[in-house]
Amino acid sequence: MKTAAHPGLYDPDDQALVLRGTRCADCGTAFFPPLGIGCEVCGAAADRLAAVPIAAAGVLHSVATVHLHPGNDISAPFAMGEIQLDDGPLIRATMIGLPDLEMIGRRVEAQWVVARTDNDGNEIIEPRFAVVPGAAPVGGAS
Amino acid sequence: MRPLRELRPVWVVGVGLHPYQKASETPYTALGVHAVRAALADAGVAWSEIQTAYTGTATTAMGMSRLMYRHLGATGIPMAQVENASASGSTAFRQACIDVAAGLADVAIAVGVDKPLRFGMPQGPAGVHDLVASRLLPFTHFALLANRYIHQHGATPEQLALVAVKNSRNGALNPNAQRRRARTLEEVLAPPQISGPLTRLQCCPVGEGAAAAIVAADDAIGRLGLDASRAVRVLSSAARSETVYRGENFDAALTRETTKIALDDARLKPDDLDVVELHDAFTVEELLYLESMGLAPIGRAAAQLSEGQFDIGGRVAVSASGGLLSMGHPIGPTGVGQICEITTQLRGEAGPRQHGGARTGLAHMVGVGAVCVVHVLQTRM
Repeated sequence: MKTAAHPGLYDPDDQALVLRGTRCADCGTAFFPPLGIGCEVCGAAADRLAAVPIAAAGVLHSVATVHLHPGNDISAPFAMGEIQLDDGPLIRATMIGLPDLEMIGRRVEAQWVVARTDNDGNEIIEPRFAVVPGAAPVGGAS
Repeated sequence: MRPLRELRPVWVVGVGLHPYQKASETPYTALGVHAVRAALADAGVAWSEIQTAYTGTATTAMGMSRLMYRHLGATGIPMAQVENASASGSTAFRQACIDVAAGLADVAIAVGVDKPLRFGMPQGPAGVHDLVASRLLPFTHFALLANRYIHQHGATPEQLALVAVKNSRNGALNPNAQRRRARTLEEVLAPPQISGPLTRLQCCPVGEGAAAAIVAADDAIGRLGLDASRAVRVLSSAARSETVYRGENFDAALTRETTKIALDDARLKPDDLDVVELHDAFTVEELLYLESMGLAPIGRAAAQLSEGQFDIGGRVAVSASGGLLSMGHPIGPTGVGQICEITTQLRGEAGPRQHGGARTGLAHMVGVGAVCVVHVLQTRM
C-alpha cells in the first residue's frame, strides 16, 4: 500500500503528478501548500478559497546540496530545490540526485519516489523533482 | 502617520553588553544584569531613573523580565518581553524609542537577553505543512539564496567566503564577540561543508549573551546631568512585515522596503552611511542586503567587498562588530548589540576597530515570519 509522506498535500495513487493547492476565487492567486482561513493576497474569506490541482512542474530557481541533516527521514548529502511552478507558487522540494548549479533555469518536474517503507510494509511516497531531459534552459524565470 | 524624527528627539545615552558566548550554566538573569549595569555606568544614571523596560527575547522563557530586573532594585516600573524572532532586540529598542519620543517616558531601557533553550516555530501549531519540514533548515534557505546569487551574478564561493574573512577580522578586535579569531580564506572554506556553498564559518554561532541600550529625551539629559556630547540621536525607526513578492526573495525585498523608509524618514541617502550593522547570519546575506539597501549595485556587492570597500576604513564599514558571523547571534541580544556597536562607533570610542570619521550608522535585522527592523543613528551635529 502507498502512503503519502505528507498527508493532505498530494495523492500518491494519482497518475497525474499534481499537488493539492488552493486558488482564491476573488484575486485568482494560487497557493501551495494549500491555504485555508483567508487569502494572503486579498484577505478573502475561507469560502472564496477552493482546492485546485497544482501541476508539479516548473523551472528550477535554485538548488543546494545539504551536507548536514539532523533527521533520519533522509540521509545527507541530498539536494533541495527551489522551484517556480508553472501554476504560480514558488516552492521548495527534495531533488532526485545531486544536481549542480548548471541546472538552475532548467525545466523540472516531479516523480513519485518511495522515501522509505514503514514497519507494516507500506511504501511512504513523496514527490521529488528532476530536470526534464532534453528541455532547453528557460530564460527569465520569475 | 508621522516619522520618529517629528516626535520628541530620542538619544542613546548608555550602552552595555555581556560578551556573547557558547551556552553555559550562567543564568540569563546574570547575563542581563551584567549588561544593564554596564549601560547604566556608561550613561551615568542610576537604575532608579529608568522609567520603563523592554526585554528582547525569543528562546529562553515566558515572563522573564522581572526575575532579572529585581536584582537592580524592584522599582515597580512597567516591563515586558518583546518577541520578534531574530529581530526581538531591535523591536524592543524600537518600543523604548517610541515611549521616549511619545513622551510616555523620559528614560527607557531596551535589553536583549537569551539562552539558546527553546526554538519553537509556529508552523506546527498553525497546522501548516509543506514538502520540506526539517530538510530545509535556515542554513539551506540561505544556501539556496547563495547558489541563486552565484548563478545570477557570476559570483564565486570564494567571494562569498570573503564576507566571513572580513567579519572575523573585525570580531577579533571585539572583546564581546563569540568568535574572536581572524580567519583566512582557506580556513573559512575548509570543511565541514554545511549546505550548498556554506561552510561552518559562513554560518553564525547561536549562543547566549546580553545587550542593553538606554534612551532618553532632552529633558532627562538636562535633569540628570548626562554627557550630551556622547549622546547619539535615533534619527529613524522603521519596521515592516513580509507581503507577497511573487518570486523575489522576501528577506531582500523586505530589507529594501524597510531601509528605504528608515533612510527617507532620516532624510538621508545610502551614501550618507558610515557604519552599518546588518543581519549577516550567513555570508550570502551581507551581499544581498548591501545591494537591497542601495550600498552596492545589484550583483556588485561581492566584487566591492573583495576590493575592501566594506572594511573598517573602507567606503562604509559593514559589520565592524564582527557581525552575526563573528560577534554571534544569541537572538534576543543581537539587535540591541548592533545599537551598542553603532553608538560606540559614532562616539569614536571603538578603539582598534574604530571606523574613522563615523557620524551616521544603520542597524538592520530580519526575523523569521518574516519581519524587518531598521534604525538610523547619528552623532550630534
